[in-house]
Amino acid sequence: MLALDIENLTVTFPGLASPALAIGRLSIDAGSRVAITGASGSGKSTFVNIVTGLERIREGRIRWNGKDITTLSESRRDRFRAANIGLVMQEFHLFPGLSALENVLLPARLAGAATAAVIERAHSLLNTVGLSRPGQKIETMSRGEMQRVAIGRALLRKPGVIIADEPTASLDAESGEAVGDLILDLAIAEGSTLIVVSHDQRLAGRLDRRITFRSGRISDDSTAAGEVA
Amino acid sequence: MIRFILADLRRLWTGSLVVVLLVALATALGVSVVLQERALRLGSARAADRFDLVIGAGGSETQLVLSSVFLQPSPLPLMSGEVLARLTADPRVDWAAPIGFGDSFSGYPIVGTTTMLAQNLAGGLTEGKIFAREGEAVIGSAVNLPLGGEIKPMHGSLEEGGETHTELVYHIAGRLRPTGTAWDRAVLVPIQAVWHIHGMEAEEHAEEGADAGHEHQEAGADHDGHEHHGEPDPDAALNETWTVDAPGLPAILVKPKTIADAYKLRQEYRSGNTVAVFPGEVLTNLYATLGDAKQILVAVASGAQLLVAASLVLVTVIHIGQRRRQIGALRAFGAPRGAIFGIVWLEFFFLVAVGIGLGFALGYVAALTLSGLFSQTSGIAMPVGFARDDAGLAGILLAFAAILAALPALLAYRQSPAQALRA
Repeated sequence: MLALDIENLTVTFPGLASPALAIGRLSIDAGSRVAITGASGSGKSTFVNIVTGLERIREGRIRWNGKDITTLSESRRDRFRAANIGLVMQEFHLFPGLSALENVLLPARLAGAATAAVIERAHSLLNTVGLSRPGQKIETMSRGEMQRVAIGRALLRKPGVIIADEPTASLDAESGEAVGDLILDLAIAEGSTLIVVSHDQRLAGRLDRRITFRSGRISDDSTAAGEVA
Repeated sequence: MIRFILADLRRLWTGSLVVVLLVALATALGVSVVLQERALRLGSARAADRFDLVIGAGGSETQLVLSSVFLQPSPLPLMSGEVLARLTADPRVDWAAPIGFGDSFSGYPIVGTTTMLAQNLAGGLTEGKIFAREGEAVIGSAVNLPLGGEIKPMHGSLEEGGETHTELVYHIAGRLRPTGTAWDRAVLVPIQAVWHIHGMEAEEHAEEGADAGHEHQEAGADHDGHEHHGEPDPDAALNETWTVDAPGLPAILVKPKTIADAYKLRQEYRSGNTVAVFPGEVLTNLYATLGDAKQILVAVASGAQLLVAASLVLVTVIHIGQRRRQIGALRAFGAPRGAIFGIVWLEFFFLVAVGIGLGFALGYVAALTLSGLFSQTSGIAMPVGFARDDAGLAGILLAFAAILAALPALLAYRQSPAQALRA
């Protein structure tokens, strides 16, 4: 379970006058479930890239449980992300020609982390997300099933935080709802912090806290109980 | 990682196949040039190996070797028959055999010689016996004629539009063992018969010294007085005692008793009206020229390989560009950069390595086919085979492939996953 602390973050892209993202201070408690919303271009994707360490920043501090990832090298950030962050994206990025199980295991295998226990967990995760045939080739699956495989992959190494970037946007309403439920249930069951970027109001509404971005800044931050102080 | 690469290659099998074929063809080109050149060199060296010393009239040494060892038809100047008599009597000589060319039968060269050569050339016969009369012939192992068959000698060759001699018909008496030389396609007949057909009698019946140094085609008119003039007798016994009056000869094959004798004989017969050569030595000079040609061919093949390499780099760089998102995603899900590098490198290297392996096989088959065709027309056995050097060539190609594969791998390694995913 990871807590996030952001301080004095400014992300600028060359050719843009205003920063793509500017956050003075943001804290997300360990174990909390947060929705990030906002119009497209409001900085949501940049936020995901920054907190996952996919993109390096020049100004500011990003701490996961106190560990500042901005000072890490690219390879170390990769390793930190692999071990601590479970990513689910709008596009599934599954690899055709491989089975559901192989897809779940692929990043762990490439990182040399696929121990017998991890393989065992892959089987049980596929079972948990409702897929009974781990050997099924990925290209023969429906989109809803594919996103379930992607969720299994994100949870494989018991990440302290699950970050889902528009996990339901490319699914129809019904399977989107099922996938949303699944992510929420699993985050609770696994005890992971959950950050969901989504403009799916129904999904966002079920989370504890909603942070709204506008033009790279936090314009609204509310909990189910009321405004965050 | 291997599973992922295999799944990827299976999915992109058409493109992979094209890459493998391109590499294979480019490799095969280089390999076949090297193999073919080696086969030619070894084959001709082995063909020349059986002939220790060749003595001919003054003129081109190369032509003498080409005509006597490889039976390439060409008019050689004649030397006096007295040379043969001297050689036969020489204690340093194991055996000496005259050879006379000029006639052919359905593409096979007819060589006039003595029983001495017929006995020693191939180390025996597979069937029949050596000629004992003027009208008998012994054929090389690759001559496709039956024992007892008739051979009607034609002056010159079919291509030159030569006319058939009507004076004499040879009957095949025996077949020699294979030698792997041009002589496998030769028809050996008594030189006495050749002289008779061309009207060149031993000089005991002719005017003194008339034909020494003449082209033997022209020498015919100069003799007189023989009872069988113009009508060689197929049943005549062979007379192989050489006197100083023997007719002119284009070449004599000599088997010296020792190496020292060989050098002494060469020295002795080099001066004056004769040349004496070690065929091996003449060939070495020829190879020096051939070597340059090989280098040019190798350079051309290398150029082709470079072009293929360049086009492959282009293709892979474009391919990596198209798969940026996929690679970015792998990184995002936690695959280390080193693993990405490894995947791209291994995948490319695997394809090229398979291509190189296939290319070696293809080049070998091509060289084998070419050598087979060449052997059929020339009779010279061409041993196609890999040498230790070729492992070096394979090593260089693989090392080059390893470096080439690193380029797209490095591109994949260096790209930012966030940017790739945004694209």
